[in-house]
This record gives sequence, structure tokens and C-alpha cells, in this order.
Amino acid sequence: MKRLFFAVLLIPMLIFAACGMAVAKDTLVVADQYDATTMDPIAHNDVPSSRACFSIYDTLIFIDGAGKTHPMLATSWEFLSDTEYKMNLRKGVKFHNGEEMKASDVKYSIERATTDAGAQIRTYSQNVKEVKVVNDYAVIIVLKEPDYSFFSSLSHCWASILNEKATKALGDNYGMNPVGTGPFKFVSWQKGNKYTLERFDGYWGEKVKFKTLEVRSIPEPTSRTIELESGGADIAFPIVTNEIKRVEGNSKLTLVRKPQTSITYMGFNMTKAPFTDVRIRRAIFDAIDVVAVQKAVWRGVGSVPTSLVPSSVKYSIAAEVPAHKRNVENAKKLLAEAGVKNLKINIWSNERKERVDMATIIQAQLQEVGITSEIRVLEWGAYLNGLQAKQHDVFLLGWVSTVPDPNFAVSGLLESTAGSNHTGTADTKLDGFLNKGRKTPDGPEREKVYKDMQLYINELLPMIYLHSDESIAGMQKNVKGADIRSNEIHSFRGVYFE
Amino acid sequence: MIRYILRRILFLIPVIVGVAFCVFTLLYFTPGDPARMILGDMATEEAIQNFREAEGLNSPFFVQFGNYIYRAVTKGDIGRSYMTKRPVMNEIMQAFPATLKLSFFAILISIVIGIPCGILSAIKQYSIFDTVIMILAMVGLSMPVFWLGLLMIILFSVHLGWLPSSGFDTFSAMILPSLALAAQSISMVTRMTRSSMLEVVNADYIRTARSKGQKESVVILRHALYNALIPVVTLCGLQFGQLLSGAILTESIFAIPGVGRIMVEAIKTRDFPMVQGGVLAIAIVFSVVNLAVDVLYAFIDPRIKAQYK
Repeated sequence: MKRLFFAVLLIPMLIFAACGMAVAKDTLVVADQYDATTMDPIAHNDVPSSRACFSIYDTLIFIDGAGKTHPMLATSWEFLSDTEYKMNLRKGVKFHNGEEMKASDVKYSIERATTDAGAQIRTYSQNVKEVKVVNDYAVIIVLKEPDYSFFSSLSHCWASILNEKATKALGDNYGMNPVGTGPFKFVSWQKGNKYTLERFDGYWGEKVKFKTLEVRSIPEPTSRTIELESGGADIAFPIVTNEIKRVEGNSKLTLVRKPQTSITYMGFNMTKAPFTDVRIRRAIFDAIDVVAVQKAVWRGVGSVPTSLVPSSVKYSIAAEVPAHKRNVENAKKLLAEAGVKNLKINIWSNERKERVDMATIIQAQLQEVGITSEIRVLEWGAYLNGLQAKQHDVFLLGWVSTVPDPNFAVSGLLESTAGSNHTGTADTKLDGFLNKGRKTPDGPEREKVYKDMQLYINELLPMIYLHSDESIAGMQKNVKGADIRSNEIHSFRGVYFE
Repeated sequence: MIRYILRRILFLIPVIVGVAFCVFTLLYFTPGDPARMILGDMATEEAIQNFREAEGLNSPFFVQFGNYIYRAVTKGDIGRSYMTKRPVMNEIMQAFPATLKLSFFAILISIVIGIPCGILSAIKQYSIFDTVIMILAMVGLSMPVFWLGLLMIILFSVHLGWLPSSGFDTFSAMILPSLALAAQSISMVTRMTRSSMLEVVNADYIRTARSKGQKESVVILRHALYNALIPVVTLCGLQFGQLLSGAILTESIFAIPGVGRIMVEAIKTRDFPMVQGGVLAIAIVFSVVNLAVDVLYAFIDPRIKAQYK
């Protein structure tokens, strides 16, 4: 009796299970680490939301992996002056609600980003003075100050073009009901779980080759890989170091790796003695074998950068600068020259395991030249507070350049007025380079400015570059055309199933 | 009876306000500026100061707390999440059903499996049944839920392909997480039922019932079990409250968008309103569950019912 009961119970369960597993191959299931926080392009600065926005919206221009600029919603442009960019708009572009994109929408979108609603991306939009409408298909973006890196930032999520009518109508609820011009239109969103997008058949460009895009958030790295292995997901990222071998070894899966435009560094507090003396900074740099540290902690993922501007960003000199070699003798010599004996320093880090591990190895290496260090691991909030108050000696932190322009790789960290300048760098020559770089249009002159700047930064040594990560994604063998990008804003626009 | 229930509901109020005060104070004094953490690296100093002004973060402590309570009571507005800008009430309401479903199924499984096993163990004490059940209970109690969860995923999802490995939409997706979460509860309910039954089964009134000539099944199920249930009901109530309070590990492994997960995210990003709202919700739920358990006693035990008359 009992056995019959259980058997009867088991049958519907198996049927349900079977239904759940058989997914029609017109749906692409992506397993991301985190859920998007909002679909409003200016209300966030996180990568999962940017990925969602890249599927739903278009921007005026698009910069590909090689750094080349392509027209998107703008078909051509002219630099009327240092502060005025004329953008000629594409005709016949439809929004998901049927409205046609006009210059008024572009004006609205960009000017909206300068209000308080765009606090998180204000650094990109703060230079906008106004947007003038020339006619229905042309605008002039007027800046307050010349800044050619602004043009590159137009490819970033913040400058996504919204439909004025829909955005105004939805008000505060806009973040959950986006309307864009992109190849996917919004269908539904179960917060914290998944969001679903569908092919937009009225798209102005090449239409997507499948019907539904489902992006699920699975924070546990092992669960993501398992989802990939069991076929529940077609693409999963990020794949962490521990899981790489599993995905590589699985004949049904492919692993894709791209260098990321990010950097983990160890910075000096240049406002505190003895780090004001470049010889001490140089000594510490020479005492550390950064290549060995990176290899030990990251085990084959990523590389050690040799310049603050990532190798995949234009005008980077990373390829020309040789790798750092440890030089204990020189370190000791510099310390003696500077007249410093028995130096005691504290190394600050937040709780991320890799950073603590790197700090531990660095501590041991510094001991060999007579520098004693204490590692202080702080929780994120306390860490930021302490860094703001410049209480640290040396600290480990990271930085991401989402927009591939050398200005953004450096100014947020080292410009004297920057908010995240925890090294306290206030160097007029460096500020001069950054200023000049912004005021010069792309070309050999700008290239020279940034090359000189990078060499100068390496001489000034406000920070030691420790690691540059990789964007690693796993996918089913039959999934082709996914664009896994260095700035982590992966694109599913070109995906097709083989 | 009604008066008792009303009185207990009234007592909830100081409990909730007390909890809100504790959480508020702790978050207030924890280092970390929410404005800076939420707006991130690409916000300007001006934007950060504007945010602080707009959210009232520069006001003194009691002003901030007072405003919070006032808005909560008059408008049901317990703030907006700093991260998503949506009302906290909405975020929690959206996440609650998933946690509720998960906890409910886990408790159901615990009761359906735990009580019969406990009874069986008690009446066949020291038999092979008893030993096996007790060993399984010990294993269930000691297994960390995340490890059990991962093992089940690897067996049932990856190797056998019977059940999905994450999510909570379909019926089949609910089986593994509920089982993983229920493992500890089943063990505790089994052991508690067993020991409670053992106490009762040797009592005089049971001997009387047997000597009356009553059928053994009626003796066990009607006379013994009823009397043994009180500690078990207490345990189930507490367990349910505990499961509702977050099931964080289970939700993380199986990627279930419940209250536990959003709380962890909110704590990490210093999303004050969300953390406060979440803790309040959990406190309310726990109190209500305890009240329900207390009321249930009255229906099970006539002695207690008499007290409330």
C-alpha cells in the first residue's frame, strides 16, 4: 500500500522534471553572478546592470574590442570645436514602444544624466553643458571644458538613448520597465532571480537569431558551473580559478578568456612620511617579486601589468615596458641612502581572499630587506572610511576602466582632485599630462602625451601594479557568436546555436 | 481566549519598536558611509553630498530614527532601498513568498517524515528500526546544509539529470532545496518525538488504556501521541521561525531569491533601509509564529485551554 503510494507520487515528479529539463533551443539561458540592480542606464554603475542595458539600449557610438569606434545611433559626427560635437542621427530607428527616435530623445537622455538621478555616473556626465537640437536628426553636444575622453564615454551605458515620452510617463518606476532601441525588448523581471528579454523584431540593425534571452543570477560559483554542466545554462560567467579545469576538461563546454581592463594595485600613502621619498617607494618595489606573487595567488589567471593604462586600451605602453625584476640589493641600497633603518609599515586590505594572500607574500618578501609590515584586514565600509581619512601606509585596491580611454584609467586614481585618489597624489606635472590629454583630439599628439604620462607615472611610483584579471566565461559547445569583452559588458546580440 | 490573543498581539508592538531601535543603532555606528558605497567610484564629491542631504543622512540620530518610525506607522513606508531605489516594502514582499514556500515545504517534510519516524522509534525502542533511524538522524543533524545541498545537486542534477540544480519556479526545482533545508529539522523532530513518546508511553494512563482492551494503534496514536505532541509542536514552531529567518545558505546554493539572500546583499552594501526592513519583517514573522504556536497549545492540551478561559 505504502509502496504503491510512493510509486504514484514519483510519476508526476518525474514528468515535471522532464518538462523542466527540455528547453526549446530558441532561448538563450545565461547564468550571471549577480542580478541587475536597475534597467535605468544612469541609476547604476555596476556591471550586471550594464550588461542588461547593452541588450536593451543602443548608444550613439560603439567601441569594439580593438578600440575602433563605430557608428550606432549616430551615423556620423563632426568636432565643430573643442567643446562642440555634432552628431548626425540614424533615421527610422524605432523604440520598443513603436515611437521613432528623434533628436529630442537624445537631448533628453544626455541631459537627464546630469541631474541627481545620475549621481552614480556623474563623473562621465558632469562636463555636459547642454545638448542643442539642430533638427530632428542632428544634435550638438556642448561641453563645459574640452575633453576628448568624453567622446569615448558616449559608448558607455550612461549615454544610452531613452524614449523621452516613456521615461517621463513611468517616472520612478522606469527602472523596472525599460524602453530602448536595442535588439532585445524587456519582458519581465523577477528581482534577485532572473530577467527575461525577447527579440525586438523592429530593430534597425541585424536582428537577433533567437527568440528569448533569460539571464539568471546564481551567486555561488560552483552552482554556476554545475548549471552549465547539467545543461541548465548555455553561458555562465564569471568562471573562477578553481572551476577552470572542470570547464576545460568537459568535452561539451568551451572556455573563453579575455584580458580585463582592470587592475589590482598596492598604493602608497604619498602624504605620509617616509612614503613621500621616492627612494623608499622604489626600495619597496624592488624588494617585491610581483610576477611570483601574482603567479602564486592567481595560479595562471591574468597577468602583471607594467603600466596603469591596461594593454587593451589605446596608447598603452604596457607591451613596451619590461616585466619587473626583483632586486633585493638595490632595495637595501636605497633604504640605506634614504637613511631609513628598521622601517615598520602597515599594509591595508579589504577582506578579499586574493588581496590578503598577496599581502601575506609581500610581507614576507619585505622582511628580507628589513622592512617589518603588519597586515590590517578591514571590512569594506570601514576600509573606505579609513582610506578617505588617509590613515594607511600602504593599501591594496582595484580599479576598472569600463570606458576604453586612457584618461579614465588614470584620472580617477591619481588626479589631485579625484575622489578615489587614496594615494594622495598631488603632482602638478601629472595633472598637466591628464589635462593636456583630455584637450587633445585622438592622433599622434595625444598618443605622445599619454605615452609620456605613463612613463612619468612609472617613475613617480605612487603604486605598484600587482594583477590584471581576465574575463572568463564558459559556454555550451553549440553556442556561437557570444562576445565576451574586456570591460565585462558581454554582448549576446550575435549569438546563434549551431 | 480572544482577550489572550489580543493581548499577545498588543505585546508585539514594543518588541518591533525595540528591534527597530537595536538594528538602527547598530547600523548607525557601523563604519562605512552608505552614500559613498552606493554611489561608487564614478560619483563626484558633490553628488555624494547631495545624496547625503536628500536621504537625511546628516541629521542627528534621534531625528533619523523618529522620521523612520513616523513614516512606517503613518504610510507603511519603511524607506527606499539605496541600491535599487524601490520601496523596501515592495522588495521584501517580492522576496518573501520564495522563503515562505521553501520554509513551509521544509517544515512539512520534517513533520511528515519526522513524526512517524519518531513514533516508530519509540514504540520499537532498541530495535533495528530505532538504531537505523537514530543514526540517520545524527547524520542529518551534523551535515552542513550547504554540503548536503551540493552533494544532492551533483547526484540528482549532474549525474542523474532528474532534477534542476537551481531556481525555484517549478515543482521539481523545489524538491532539492526543501530536502536540504529539512535535513536538520527532520532529525530534530524525530529525536524530540521519540524522547517525548518514550516518556509518555510508560505512563499509567497508557497502561490503563491497554488494560481496557483498547486497540494498540488507538492507544499510540490517540492517547500517547496527543500527550507527547506539546514539546514537538514547540520545536516545530521554533524551527519554522528559524527557517523563515533566512535559510541563507540554502538560498545561496540553490540561487533562490528569498529574504535571506537580499539581506546578505543589503548588509554587504550598507543598504540601511533594506537591512532594517528585513530584520523587522523577520522579527514580526517570528513573533506571529510563536503566537500561533501558543494558541495551538490550547487546542491540543485541554489543561492549557482551561487556563485561558
